Amino acid sequence: MLLQILINGILKGGLYALMAIGMSLIWGVMDIINIAHGSFIMLGAFTTYWLFTIFGIDPFVSLVFSMAILFVLGYGVQRYVINYVIRASAFITLILAFGIEIFINNLALVSWSADVRKVKVAYGAANFSLGNWVTIPTIRLVAFLLVIVISLIFFYILNRTNLGRSIRATSQDLDAARLVGVDVARTYAITFGLGVGAAGAAGTLWSILFPISPMMGGILTLKSFVVVIIGGLGSMLGPIIGGLALGVTEAFGTNWFGSTYANLISFTILVLVLIIRPKGILGGAD
Amino acid sequence: MAILEGKNVTKRFAGLVAVGDVDFYLKQGEILGLIGPNGAGKTTLVNVIAGVYAPSDGDVYFKGKQISGKKPYQIGRMGISRTFQVVRPFPGMTVKENAAVGAMYGAGGKNKSAKEAIRRAEEILEFVGLADQMNKGADQLNVASRKRLEMAKAMAMDPELVLFDEVMAGLNFSEIDQAVELIKKIRESGMTILIIEHVMRAIKNVCDRIFVLHHGEKIADGAVEEVLNDENVIKAYLGKRYKELTH
Amino acid sequence: MEKKTLRNFLICGLILLIVSLFPLVSNNFIIRFGTDILMFAIIASAWNIIGGYTGYASFGNVVFFGIGAYITAVLMEKAGMHFGIAYLAAGGGAALFAVLIGLPVLRLRGHYFAIATLGVAEAMKALVQNLEITEGNSGIYLPMLDLSIQGQYYFFFYMMLGTLVMTLLVTYLILNAKLGYSLIAIREDEDAANSVGINTTLSKTIAFALSGLFTGLAGSIYAYQQAFLKPGPAFTVHTTVKMIVMAVFGGMGKLFGPLIGAFGIEIISETLSNYFLVAHTLFFGTVVILAIVFTPKGLIDLITQRKFGISYFVENIREHRI
Repeated sequence: MLLQILINGILKGGLYALMAIGMSLIWGVMDIINIAHGSFIMLGAFTTYWLFTIFGIDPFVSLVFSMAILFVLGYGVQRYVINYVIRASAFITLILAFGIEIFINNLALVSWSADVRKVKVAYGAANFSLGNWVTIPTIRLVAFLLVIVISLIFFYILNRTNLGRSIRATSQDLDAARLVGVDVARTYAITFGLGVGAAGAAGTLWSILFPISPMMGGILTLKSFVVVIIGGLGSMLGPIIGGLALGVTEAFGTNWFGSTYANLISFTILVLVLIIRPKGILGGAD
Repeated sequence: MAILEGKNVTKRFAGLVAVGDVDFYLKQGEILGLIGPNGAGKTTLVNVIAGVYAPSDGDVYFKGKQISGKKPYQIGRMGISRTFQVVRPFPGMTVKENAAVGAMYGAGGKNKSAKEAIRRAEEILEFVGLADQMNKGADQLNVASRKRLEMAKAMAMDPELVLFDEVMAGLNFSEIDQAVELIKKIRESGMTILIIEHVMRAIKNVCDRIFVLHHGEKIADGAVEEVLNDENVIKAYLGKRYKELTH
Repeated sequence: MEKKTLRNFLICGLILLIVSLFPLVSNNFIIRFGTDILMFAIIASAWNIIGGYTGYASFGNVVFFGIGAYITAVLMEKAGMHFGIAYLAAGGGAALFAVLIGLPVLRLRGHYFAIATLGVAEAMKALVQNLEITEGNSGIYLPMLDLSIQGQYYFFFYMMLGTLVMTLLVTYLILNAKLGYSLIAIREDEDAANSVGINTTLSKTIAFALSGLFTGLAGSIYAYQQAFLKPGPAFTVHTTVKMIVMAVFGGMGKLFGPLIGAFGIEIISETLSNYFLVAHTLFFGTVVILAIVFTPKGLIDLITQRKFGISYFVENIREHRI
């Protein structure tokens, strides 16, 4: 029984981790706290939903589409909106993100109504068991594996490609990067695009496992915060550890105290981590 | 009578000894110079005195009372004020307001209302020669004026001891001479001064005594000419300011 | 008193008089609209104390609003107390909470402080959802005000107005006292503020407590006015967004900035919802985006700089773009 809860927690935690990777990237590189993060997750979820409902495209396949679409969207938002205020106080950028969140959420609400929807795949009920102790829904496992794959892809991009080098350079010193010829406007836009693309992927996977609605983003943004803070900024591993930690804690917390306490536990942890060790578990340079 | 005394003051940062076993004292009314190559630990020592760091070992006494480990604002209110090497004015305030904050919260602050503090600030600004720029935004001043404002803030606190950290950096020769005159004026008004400097011209003209830090340790202590001709001191500076030291 | 200060006081007094007479010549709908503007002006101005003047941008000030609302609800409904007592207790309770939570949280800076306060607000929402005494998610009722309908509208309008006047007055007094200088010093350079003799922990905590106090009072009136309270709306982050946007839009760190911002944002919001019934929040979001990009320093800066031309906006963008 304990093992089952643990596995459930890890599987969900993986999803949280993917959500947080995008936020952590944007925060770590550009020092932007993307309040609209959840909205992008929502858009990824709905991209998958509509591709599935209208064109019958399998949700796992639509992953590629949702990531691509969200990447382009993110690139555009950064390059043509956020870049205009990025040198003002971090705070101004924050409010801009709020505005973007309101805009996206309500655009979705107006276009698609507030109805809750579900991506119902034929194989959704399939699961397999490990002995008598643990039952794992197949789609959750596949989603978890995809999280690992996507994380590895991100890790590769950031650490082994020239693009990644430019991104890391601009994150360390904007002016120095500019001086050595990095197109910082473009780099920032690409970074934001990558972060939002990750959010889109998380959204796609979420839509396969859970119901979705235009207002789903808010709480997911908050949970992403918790994950990023727990795991610590500055490395790809941070959100992974943080995501798993949150997933497992929620699983056990829900089991012991009931689901209404899940949020209370998550946010209390957030506050405690900030008070005791703001850098998080793996927090390095800020 | 020693107004400030440091005994075996040591400050370690994760294994690196920034200041090692340093003794020093200042007599009331003295101007003591603290010199040494970059990275010698001078600012760290001042930070220890000012309460930014607690010493890892040893103690600092002000007027006989132990102050090591107290917070910066407490030390400020006891009568010690300091300037910062890289000046830190409050950019969102005017020059007058900057100085006024010092008057409100320094050693002389308890008995002053906001209005009285502002008046005191005007006096101080007059004293340092910034009276004509009183209502300018602090971020609009040039380097020399910013240094003066930094000094004015420290003075407005009504201290008995002032720690000046490289107030001459970035000034031209005539500005240095003016700053030296100002420091002498400050001493004459009754204050004791510890001054960190690289600019030898100023050191020679203003200090009663100097002591030298190198790699965190005190390597010389005494009268200005004596110390500047000390072999160890010259060696420490060799290659960097050798010309300046011997001219 | 200086001539200029006296003149300013008289102008404020005149405006206050006009505003006070306003309900007597308007219909109830407009009075209610005015009351809402006043409420937001209070919480935006309260936010300004910790966010604008001290430089600690709190993302969780709604927690004080909700605490004030719930203290009022519980005291009136469960303990049968009079609104006057509940109102004072609400403010006091919120201020006390600010001091308690401020102790650990004010040690954080910048982003971390913002997120910590956000976490506190969300945690409190979750807590209230689970407590029996607050009736959790079912919602709690408050006793109705024993006045005519007209009287009720007047009551809430003047309560909010009085609270706003108190908030602005206290802020004004602080600004001219040592505390105000210390807050601005902390905002500009906290370490230098420490060196100059300011007990920054004390100053910050007082600012946070005042911010909580007035926000709590507004929440208290809100609860009584709504007569029914649920944790979601009482603690929603949307309120925080609004108060911050209003403060920044009007002018952070300026006494009347948040008031002007509240007025402006609510008028724009209302106009939009009249023209675009369905999508007004959508346009609201657009307005926020445009406002921030073009006037990041707020309306007050726009007004006081007296540069109404295109150049003002272009300058801002040039300064802030990558």
